[in-house]
Amino acid sequence: MKTQLSILALASALGTAAHAEDKTLTISVYSFAQDEYKEALYDPFEQMCGCKLVVETGNSVERMAKIEANAADPVIDMAVISTQDALALARKDLIQPLDSAKLSNFDKLYDSAKDPVGDNMAVGYTYYATSIVYRSDLVDIASWSDLLGEDVAGQVALPNVTTTQGPLTLMMLGKSLGHEDDFGPVISEIGAHASDIVTFYSRSSELVQLMNQQEVIAAPVGRFAWASFKDAGLPFAWAEPEEGQAGGMNVMVMTKGNGNEELAYQFMDYWLSTEVQTKIGEMLVDSPANKEVELSPEAADNLTYGADVIESLNILPADEVLDKREGWVEQWNTEVIQ
Amino acid sequence: MFRNTREGLALALPAAIFSTLLFLVPVCILLSEAFRAGGSWSLQGYIDFFSTPLNRTVFLRTLKLGVLVAGTAAVIGYAAAFCIVNLGPKSRGKVFGMVVLPLMISPVARTYAWIVILGRTGIVNEAITGLGLSDTPLRLLFTETAVFLGLLQLFLPLMIISLVSAMENIPRDVIPAARVLGASWIAVFFKVILPLTKEGLVIGGTLVFTGALTAYITPAILGGSKVLMLETLLYQRVNVSNDFVSASVIAMILIVMSFSANLLLKRIATARS
Repeated sequence: MKTQLSILALASALGTAAHAEDKTLTISVYSFAQDEYKEALYDPFEQMCGCKLVVETGNSVERMAKIEANAADPVIDMAVISTQDALALARKDLIQPLDSAKLSNFDKLYDSAKDPVGDNMAVGYTYYATSIVYRSDLVDIASWSDLLGEDVAGQVALPNVTTTQGPLTLMMLGKSLGHEDDFGPVISEIGAHASDIVTFYSRSSELVQLMNQQEVIAAPVGRFAWASFKDAGLPFAWAEPEEGQAGGMNVMVMTKGNGNEELAYQFMDYWLSTEVQTKIGEMLVDSPANKEVELSPEAADNLTYGADVIESLNILPADEVLDKREGWVEQWNTEVIQ
Repeated sequence: MFRNTREGLALALPAAIFSTLLFLVPVCILLSEAFRAGGSWSLQGYIDFFSTPLNRTVFLRTLKLGVLVAGTAAVIGYAAAFCIVNLGPKSRGKVFGMVVLPLMISPVARTYAWIVILGRTGIVNEAITGLGLSDTPLRLLFTETAVFLGLLQLFLPLMIISLVSAMENIPRDVIPAARVLGASWIAVFFKVILPLTKEGLVIGGTLVFTGALTAYITPAILGGSKVLMLETLLYQRVNVSNDFVSASVIAMILIVMSFSANLLLKRIATARS
């Protein structure tokens, strides 16, 4: 009898294990801070749902290419990307509208995070401010136009136009130079100052290194990189220019026809919960999009946090970036990096 | 050596299958993209590439730096190789070991060393400002000079190794004989050393030129987006623009440049003899 019970128990355990393995959710995320995400999000979710989470990382272009290449039989269930990349996927009919009724934490989000690209195609999970980090002992930055001024000539870096930070910098320089609606004259102005610019960086880690080597003393950067500067030992400061700060948002999307929608909604909802958003915020990984999150003063100081800050951000509409980016890149290649 | 050709073929088969399946086939598929446009065969990719001013600049810059690096490596390499082959056996081993040593260090580490040397607070700028040659530090990083120095340091050992091998095969009495007969050192180099080491120069020149064309890390770190070369442009096309056609065109141009350099060097070597 004992043997029969043991066999039954073993069979039942194996069955449960096999069932858990059957439930697999494949997500596509940015490569950074994976250890923190594992601790705050992935492991607790796997325990909660009794499922297996497959995490695919890479840069945006690679990850979007994978979603497009497998459109007929999606291998990715949900992805986190920028608003303009989400709109690009929506225009190619590769993602599906989200049903907010299936996200219990939806109402806790800031209004701008609820439908950032239109047609309920995405939901924001984190904000970031973009401003200028500078050496406060060497220079003073009061306006975005100071980036092209004499004080920082030969020691300033700008983000490449192909990066997410690139168009945001063009927008804010445009505000300071009086060209709010047309980036053409802004790119020409950068071209005229090209010899004063050390480099056009592609990754914030590249900039951190250049500023620590004192090669660069001022550059626009996303707030998510601020922690790397803060602890560097040099007197770095975060500018509050008179034109304000630029900003952006990363969003969650669901691939079309993945057949795993229920589990994907469950995961998205968990990520948007006050508990997870607080944990990830305290780890200084992502600034929360959930307005109920209350962060410690130290975390709040390092992130893009609070209704006042988020509502004051100058956000560039995703469709404008998507529709005009090719023209900006062409002009940039001709006038700036030629 | 083999009792029949079957034995030889059987031994070569695994390597041949490996190379064909995992190198030749994927490369041919990738490169065929460069000749396709709108579902048919076309040279439009190349027309588009060369009609863009930025691409033309990058192509010419890559060619120029490749030639400069290979040429400078040949000049320095001949001097170094001549010294090495004239050393005693013990010293020769030690010096040759020092030449080979950089090849055992990661190109990333070697290139990052240049950031420390050429930076605003690096030793070159400290020397320049210390000697009063300039009031402010010069901008040396993210310039063609920085990329040139990085590539030269990276590939010079290959040239020296090739030339040392070639010079070791020169009969010992040939150079003294030429000198005794009244030839100047310049005449000795052009009439004796160069013709007898042309194979080494062709091998070294091809390795250095091809290496300089196809290096990615060094131009990426020391040149960034301000000194784009074909390799860094190729990376941008794939990873930023997801433009595989343009990337395939660049890959094909790099292959053609490498083969052309090898053929040209062989031709020059043959013509001289």
